Amino acid sequence: MIDRLTAALARSRADYTEIRVERTWSTAVSFRGRRLESATASEDQGGFVRALHAGGGWGVASFTSLDRLDAMVERAGELSRTVPVDPPIRLGAVPPHQADALLDLDGDVRGVPIAEKKRLLEACNGAMLGVSDRIVDTLAVYRDEVSEYWYVNSQGTVLHELRPDVTLSGTAVARRDGTIEKGLESIGMRRGWNSVQDKAPGFRAVAERAVELLDAPMVKGGTYPVILDPELAGVFIHEAFGHLSEADFVYENPQAREMMTLGRRFGKPVLNVGDNGAAPGLRGTLPFDDEGTATQDTTLIKDGILVGRLHSRETAAAMDERPTGNARAISFRHAPIVRMTNTYIAGGRGSFEDLIGDVKLGVYACGAFGGQTMLENFSFTAAYGRMIRDGRVAELVKDVVLAGNLFQTLDRIDHIAGDFRWNQMGGGCGKAGQFPLPVTEGAPHVRIEEALVGGDVGP
Amino acid sequence: MIAQLIEAARRRADGGADALWRRGERTTVAFEWGRLKSAGASEEAGANLRVRHHGRVGVAGTTATAAPPDELVGRALASAALGEELDLVFPALGPLPPLTTCFDRAANASLDDLIGIGRSLLAGLEREGCRVNVAVERETTATRVANSGGGSGEYRSTACGISADVWRIAGDDVLVVSDALEGADVPSDEALAALVASINARLDHALRVVEPPEGALPVVFTPAGLSALMLPVTQALSGKAVLQGISPLGAKVGQAVFDARLSLTDDPLRVGRTASRPVDDECVPSRTMRLVERGVVQGFIYDLETAARARAESTGHGTRGIFGKPVPAYTNIVVSDAGAQHAASLQLGGGLLGEIRDGLLVDELIGVGQGNVIGGAFSHPVALAYRIDRGEVTGRVKDAAVAGNAYDLWKRVTAFGTDARWTGSRWAPSVLFEGVSVVRR
Repeated sequence: MIDRLTAALARSRADYTEIRVERTWSTAVSFRGRRLESATASEDQGGFVRALHAGGGWGVASFTSLDRLDAMVERAGELSRTVPVDPPIRLGAVPPHQADALLDLDGDVRGVPIAEKKRLLEACNGAMLGVSDRIVDTLAVYRDEVSEYWYVNSQGTVLHELRPDVTLSGTAVARRDGTIEKGLESIGMRRGWNSVQDKAPGFRAVAERAVELLDAPMVKGGTYPVILDPELAGVFIHEAFGHLSEADFVYENPQAREMMTLGRRFGKPVLNVGDNGAAPGLRGTLPFDDEGTATQDTTLIKDGILVGRLHSRETAAAMDERPTGNARAISFRHAPIVRMTNTYIAGGRGSFEDLIGDVKLGVYACGAFGGQTMLENFSFTAAYGRMIRDGRVAELVKDVVLAGNLFQTLDRIDHIAGDFRWNQMGGGCGKAGQFPLPVTEGAPHVRIEEALVGGDVGP
Repeated sequence: MIAQLIEAARRRADGGADALWRRGERTTVAFEWGRLKSAGASEEAGANLRVRHHGRVGVAGTTATAAPPDELVGRALASAALGEELDLVFPALGPLPPLTTCFDRAANASLDDLIGIGRSLLAGLEREGCRVNVAVERETTATRVANSGGGSGEYRSTACGISADVWRIAGDDVLVVSDALEGADVPSDEALAALVASINARLDHALRVVEPPEGALPVVFTPAGLSALMLPVTQALSGKAVLQGISPLGAKVGQAVFDARLSLTDDPLRVGRTASRPVDDECVPSRTMRLVERGVVQGFIYDLETAARARAESTGHGTRGIFGKPVPAYTNIVVSDAGAQHAASLQLGGGLLGEIRDGLLVDELIGVGQGNVIGGAFSHPVALAYRIDRGEVTGRVKDAAVAGNAYDLWKRVTAFGTDARWTGSRWAPSVLFEGVSVVRR
């Protein structure tokens, strides 16, 4: 394959050309209640070409038939010539890499019969259904893939990788009369079959919580000190801050650039934030991004000050900064754009108890049912919450929705515990029609001195 | 290819098979922050096969269309070996309704045509202190469906999509106003002008930020803002939710559940819409389906599998991609004021603002689709909303949230606007509700 790709590159008349080819084998099994909903094995293959003529815009072409490779290289070149761009697109310098990287397959999922995968999922699903007859419905999904990946560009980079991904997720629905509550479990790793064994207890726990939530009161809406658990803190930093640190948002927008000026204070000195595409074994981890740039640990906020951002080769050149290995595409159907990898709030000091010790009345917000950011405004739905009363964790509450302004909220983070962990979840990130991109978030427990908690807002 | 696939499947699967084959090509141009930045082309083909063997159903998909059909059949059979039993009958050939889905202008639009559309939008949207992104694309798709029961259908379709967003960042205030046009044909100059006018009108009103109101207030939801109120209803009208026992409307067929002026239709036969099709992805001919008629629930959408499980008939809503199994999904949802006689207007608020002393106009909310949607309760911060004071829009409101229950609100609609339009594949006007909870933060 590499020979075929380099031969096609050699025929390109563009000043810069890159070709990516992927062949992906995946299986998916899902249960709805006691019923198997589907068990399928799929094969997806295709290629992507991106070309740049001096003074032209990007010409991009994607295709599923590899017989079309040469024609699509030609087409991408023509497309670049038809869109003049001034000032011209430049690419940040990256050394050429030649690598044949096999990520740790950790039990190659392609060697495991689909019936085994069904049995594994059935155990997790059964753990949820077995909790109580209040569990009226479940959805359990197992998904794995191995993607064989080839990348070449006209600057000498030649890559061949095997990229594994495996996710296991479940939703338990508890119901009593008109009240419906949910529990969600999600596990995801850039690994294989061995990494998803013995996961049933986590599924049981979320189903138990869904049942407990039937009796829990709605949190009373208002302003509280709020402690985020590591899962919700991770989702928060990804959604509310991470997207703003993607340089394609700022590089050609002077007002955005001003808002995201390096050196600007974003939080108290306790706050340290970064994105690490090279952290071992996580879903956002890869040796190289989809432009052939080596991934790295990029510090974004240091001691409360904005010090970095995430780049593709194009955005880095436009801002006279260095590429950070964050140009990613979800598949051969798409061009690489600036994305996060494994985004984190770095661990601070002390324990969870230290965070709540002096809180008279607060909310401990745990897990995430979802989150959305419209730039400076965000809204997150926690899976559940507990009140904090007089420095202790008290009763379970539901419908904990956190909403606020990013800048104010980051600035109100006043205490970060030392109990950092990566949240190895399934799902993924969406941007510009590319969803789901495997990413990971990590954080310790984080305290926001004051945040608006929606919930029982009343008429 | 589809005939060989069905033939190969029929030889090995004792309960028959059905398949979808689709091939598409698309061209796109993108203007980023006001500059033409890229042009793209894509070609994609793939097939999705379902078999029934020993009473069990399995599915497989591939984009490796050059591979021998037996590979795909083998994977579908392996899937069926694990599958649940299902009494699935592949429908025989029925008469397909006549429907134009292919438009020459969209099929033949050149890159220069797309660039021209983009430039005209930029010219209409550029203003001091703002940055504009525009994307224009057109595509043609050939779809074939067939099954071992003699059912088959094929059609060519075109689509043209145009989107624009205008960004204004002032200090830490980020304002984004966007809109999109989606249709089977290249939009007319009038439609492009309306897109520009719609963005500019909302931007003009948004430049001034005012204090949000608070309390139980009259709130107008624009056609786009209605998503939070439509989503619970459309989820609840899916046969899949009814089968799962989680639909609040599951036992309400024939009952007046909503305001008597509300009617809801799913219409796959609307000419010019990208979701329109003469036949669904399971060989069931398309037909217009009434979901809610003058407030009364009429029925639910089904595909072949959910219909078989519910002992109902497929309503022609089977939808499948290259990968995964078919699911029931809507085509074009039409929300209508059952008594509407008025002339259309494109004025912001659809003529509903006049009577409002103090209230809100909601165009976009944050977090729609999160949480327990089908239950109807919602609570969302506003992304783009305006204050209404004595019948006039006075400015944009930040730091406010609206909350309520969609089913309760649809029981007591105050008025429907005169500004019905397409938002994606939903046709709806603005709608005014009294007593919606608005909170400040």
